[in-house]
Amino acid sequence: MRRAMFTATKVRSLTHRRVLHRWDDYLFIAPAMLFIVLTMIYPIFSNLRMSVYDVNVATFLSNTAPFVGFDNYLKVLQDPAFQKAFLLSVIFTAGSLAFQFTIGFALALLFNRSFPGNQVLRALMLLGWMLPSVVSGSVFRWMFDGGNGVINYALQSIGLMTFPRFWLIEPQTALLATIIANIWVGVPFNMILLLPGLQSIPRSLYEAASIDGASSGQSFRYITLPLMRPVALSVLLLGIIYTFKVFDLVYVMTRGGPVDATTVLPIYVYQLSFSFFRFGEGAAAAILLLLPLSLAAIGYLWLSQREEVMA
Amino acid sequence: MNGWRALRRSGLGWTLLAVFLVAGYLFPVYWMAATSLKTNAAVYASPPQMVPWPPILSAYREAVFNNPLTLRSILNSAIVGLGTMLLTLLLATPAAYALARLKLRGATVAILLLLITQLLPAIVIATPLFVLFSRIGLINSYPALILANTTFTLPFAVIVLRPFFLTVPRELEAAAQMDGCTQFGAFVRVIVPLVQPGLLTVAVFAFLMGWGEFLFAMTLTTNEAIQPATAALNKFIGQYGTEWNKLMAVATAVAIPIIVIFAGLQRYIVSGLTAGAVKE
Repeated sequence: MRRAMFTATKVRSLTHRRVLHRWDDYLFIAPAMLFIVLTMIYPIFSNLRMSVYDVNVATFLSNTAPFVGFDNYLKVLQDPAFQKAFLLSVIFTAGSLAFQFTIGFALALLFNRSFPGNQVLRALMLLGWMLPSVVSGSVFRWMFDGGNGVINYALQSIGLMTFPRFWLIEPQTALLATIIANIWVGVPFNMILLLPGLQSIPRSLYEAASIDGASSGQSFRYITLPLMRPVALSVLLLGIIYTFKVFDLVYVMTRGGPVDATTVLPIYVYQLSFSFFRFGEGAAAAILLLLPLSLAAIGYLWLSQREEVMA
Repeated sequence: MNGWRALRRSGLGWTLLAVFLVAGYLFPVYWMAATSLKTNAAVYASPPQMVPWPPILSAYREAVFNNPLTLRSILNSAIVGLGTMLLTLLLATPAAYALARLKLRGATVAILLLLITQLLPAIVIATPLFVLFSRIGLINSYPALILANTTFTLPFAVIVLRPFFLTVPRELEAAAQMDGCTQFGAFVRVIVPLVQPGLLTVAVFAFLMGWGEFLFAMTLTTNEAIQPATAALNKFIGQYGTEWNKLMAVATAVAIPIIVIFAGLQRYIVSGLTAGAVKE
């Protein structure tokens, strides 16, 4: 009986695969795909289209903007503010990732050990990542406050600073403060994604190494690090993508200021479109923002595809 | 020395270290709640008052309970969060099933599209949606926010749900169909109930993402009657200036539903995070 059923399903799935592409199967996925086309494909094309028209506050509703070719791209690329925003984004991403990843990795090593309360403590850390970034942004704005902020108090009382700093008002420190806040948000994310990689390393490898007289430092250097490479690489690429597009946290903390000291690319795009209503240039800048992201995304997809084949 | 060794063997030393680190990590959350319970004078006290004593609810009274704008915005966020959750489940469940089970032409392309959508910056989508919604008169409406939020929750949901459908034994569908169920009937009555944990994960995430979303909230609404709590909180930053206890009271009010859901359903959140982000 069981066998008969098995062959029945097997035959069925074979006919499915080879002959019948039943049209009603597609009804299951049609709504989702239609939605994706409407809310993702359409916006991308609309961005591309807007980026070659002079769409501004006068022309965007009436749909009568004149075609301007690559003028918007040229304007944006030659804009010193764009170049600065790009540079700030690179610094913001590199600075955030370096520490998010290292601290996340160290915490993953800690939580990879078994000790009482491990699960609960690990989950508690995720709270920082789950909070809406407007909330964490407001809290860090307050903690970095120059007048009564707790960070000034802490640094002064341990003797690292003699005078209070106005972190978010001074151009030299505003970016640093947003990076620190973003590290706080990203640490649990890195930790929780690196942990399964550590857990998948067979214990027997470490046991064999310790029998051969390897120190724990050597085990880490010659077992953990090389075996973590693929996972670490995909976490880093994902981190690049997620950090390069951070808008909320920085905007809430500084609005991109003082002046333009923290105007990272997404804020620059936002300002072009929603503060200056230069939608054409905003769209061109958005496409330019997509380029480095696409590179990272292609790398990430390629990597996860390869892992899937290997697994 | 013996005591030290016993401590090491039980792992309690690691517990101690972890407790210390996690407590330090969560300090900003504590500081938010502590500040919200202070009087104006206590906020400016130097050295800062580490524990708000006596705790005072006056900041909440002024900025939350007696402020119709805050209350309205929290209600708006709940509506948008629930709407996002429902639309996501409605679209993602059959799609994830189809991608796991049915042999579709172009399934790989569909999965790839979903993955890419998840990686797009919101600002790239916000401007075209703003233009589109302005033309069709959808600006300042719940559907505008729910549609925009679902752009990000839908790919995530399909990616999280697909593996759940892969684990359902094929024989069950065949059996249901032999008993006279249509394919859709078998899906709704037999398959969907079996993937409940996955659905719960997706529901929690979609709600949390809808609740905390900010950029769409700011670009697609201008009307205070519609604006979600994240946009309201952002406005209060300028308005309250240095009345940090009030700002933190609103921030805490926005965070509390997240903390409550998190405390109750963290198992689903942790599994969802790892399923949705690393592995395809």
